[in-house]
Amino acid sequence: MARLELDQVCKGFDRPILDRLSLTVEEGEFFVIVGPSGIGKTTLLRCIAGLEVLDAGRIIFGNKDVTRVPPYRRNAAMTFESYALYPHMTVFENIASPLRARKVDRATIEKSVMDVARLLRIEQLLDRRPHEVSGGQKQRTALGRTLVAKPDVFLLDEPISHLDAKIRHELRRQFHTLQELRRVATVYVTHDYAEALSLGDRIGVMGDGGLVQVGSARDVFERPSTVFVARHLGQPTINEIPCRLSNAGGQLTAQSAAGGFSFAVGGPQRALLENTQGDVLIGIRPQHLRVVNGSSTGQVAEALVEAFEALGATGVLIAETGGVALTVLTSPEDDFEPGQPVRLALDVDQFLYFDPAHGRNLQG
Amino acid sequence: MTHTNYRLVKTLLLLFLGIWLVFTLFPLYFMIVTSLKPVEEINRMIPTFWPQTMKVNNYAGIFADPGSLKSLVDSVIVSVTNTALSLFLGTLAGYALARWIRGVIGENLAFWILSNRMFPPVAVIIPMFFLFDSMPWGTDSYFSLIVLYLVFNLPLATWLMMVFFRDAPRELEEAAYLDGYTPFRAFFKVTLPLVFPGMISVAMLCWIFAWNEYLFANLLTGTTVKTFPVHIPTFTLGSQTLWNLVMAFSLVAMLPPVILFIILRRYMVRGLSLGVVKG
Repeated sequence: MARLELDQVCKGFDRPILDRLSLTVEEGEFFVIVGPSGIGKTTLLRCIAGLEVLDAGRIIFGNKDVTRVPPYRRNAAMTFESYALYPHMTVFENIASPLRARKVDRATIEKSVMDVARLLRIEQLLDRRPHEVSGGQKQRTALGRTLVAKPDVFLLDEPISHLDAKIRHELRRQFHTLQELRRVATVYVTHDYAEALSLGDRIGVMGDGGLVQVGSARDVFERPSTVFVARHLGQPTINEIPCRLSNAGGQLTAQSAAGGFSFAVGGPQRALLENTQGDVLIGIRPQHLRVVNGSSTGQVAEALVEAFEALGATGVLIAETGGVALTVLTSPEDDFEPGQPVRLALDVDQFLYFDPAHGRNLQG
Repeated sequence: MTHTNYRLVKTLLLLFLGIWLVFTLFPLYFMIVTSLKPVEEINRMIPTFWPQTMKVNNYAGIFADPGSLKSLVDSVIVSVTNTALSLFLGTLAGYALARWIRGVIGENLAFWILSNRMFPPVAVIIPMFFLFDSMPWGTDSYFSLIVLYLVFNLPLATWLMMVFFRDAPRELEEAAYLDGYTPFRAFFKVTLPLVFPGMISVAMLCWIFAWNEYLFANLLTGTTVKTFPVHIPTFTLGSQTLWNLVMAFSLVAMLPPVILFIILRRYMVRGLSLGVVKG
């Protein structure tokens, strides 16, 4: 049991992947790294596991510097995206593998494997080979192999991303309840923001070169540090509207670059942006726009329906106002025809303001 | 394709296969028949396709002849030792090339190793003779043949094993490292079992080459060591060739490869990598 500390970790192949990345994952913490494909999430896990040699920086488990320790002496357990089960061994032998490597006696192996198999509900599959079990069962076998090892650090690489929705939810619930995972530092990598928000004690959003923002689910979702973070978390994706701020007679107004869409800046942002002039990038989450009938107290925008998708639990409306296409979250019972005029209530207090050049959140 | 067309194609295909079978199996058939004939019947102008007098004692003659038996034993010694060495060295070299020596150096090294098989053996036969003649163990020894056959078998074994190791997923080895296996133990626990069917194929190929090789064996050895391909010509006497004994002996020498192939066939075609990646 230990905390995991990364200190100024650098790693690159033909281009830099991790650039001076520092991170501390406390003992018992479930840390989720989320980010788009190919950004280096797996590389980071492989560095922690010792499968990649760092270009610079240090990795510390507990108070032991393991930067130069080979993977087989690190006591980190990792599940691979491809599961990496040994095809010539049974499920039992696969799970028992870390114990056999440590030359644990037979009776203990038997007992530990049975315990883990029971926990993951695969005890009836122990005699089968990996190609004879389903994807979800393979995933559980791979997870079993890491649990049985009692490692210092758990590394989980997209463990449930490739499974059916139903099994994914079941396993997600299991991750919440597995006490074994709660005793050590866990780093969990995924590209699915919902998985990240659901599981993570803290979430790290990974962009080019390293972690763009680290924080709780609420932090990263409600106060994204950059437009990249905002764009990556949330479904449907956040609306991004390049606007110009102008201060006319004490009234701070944002107007879209094309000119057709404008609103008065309000709420807590107002004071902050009072002295900002010029271009900003405005981020509006689809749930902060509402379709209203008749009059509304707040600010409204007149728009025309472009498309509507009823998605079971929610409805997604695409409406166009003044040359700007806005995605709006509605209820699935709604029914809109293309071309139909709608009034959108703007939840101005919730809007996000970004620096158009660097994508930095102007409020944070 | 219409139904009639399909039947026509099928019939033609079967016909072709039939002709091909006759073409390939007839020599074998004639070997068997000849091995059962007495010499007088073989030497007739009009050959018989079924022996008029069966003579099983051709085989008895082979097994009674100490020279024939010793040549088979010599062949076993040379081919088995050579195969074991080729497989052992080829597996290690193939693994090194597949996993550790990468980039331009690895590619060129691998190609150079394979290119050793590209020259025609006749081109080096005389230098080889003088080379082995100058060695302390001389030309006419087990050792010289075993080492010489490595020249041909080792590149093949190395190259094939390299390809098998490249196909074996690296992630499995990495998973083994994380389980706590050292690279050495991971190699034996995880990687080697994965390429085991490949090793069987390589062993078969190496062994058949060493078993059947005639050219170099005839040149280098013949007195102390005499493998069976070198022994066969001794059935040619001054006045005639004892074809019945040649055929009987050849058939006996053919049996081990055929039996081994039948036993090991199932390993040679099995791909163990099934089910490694998610389905």
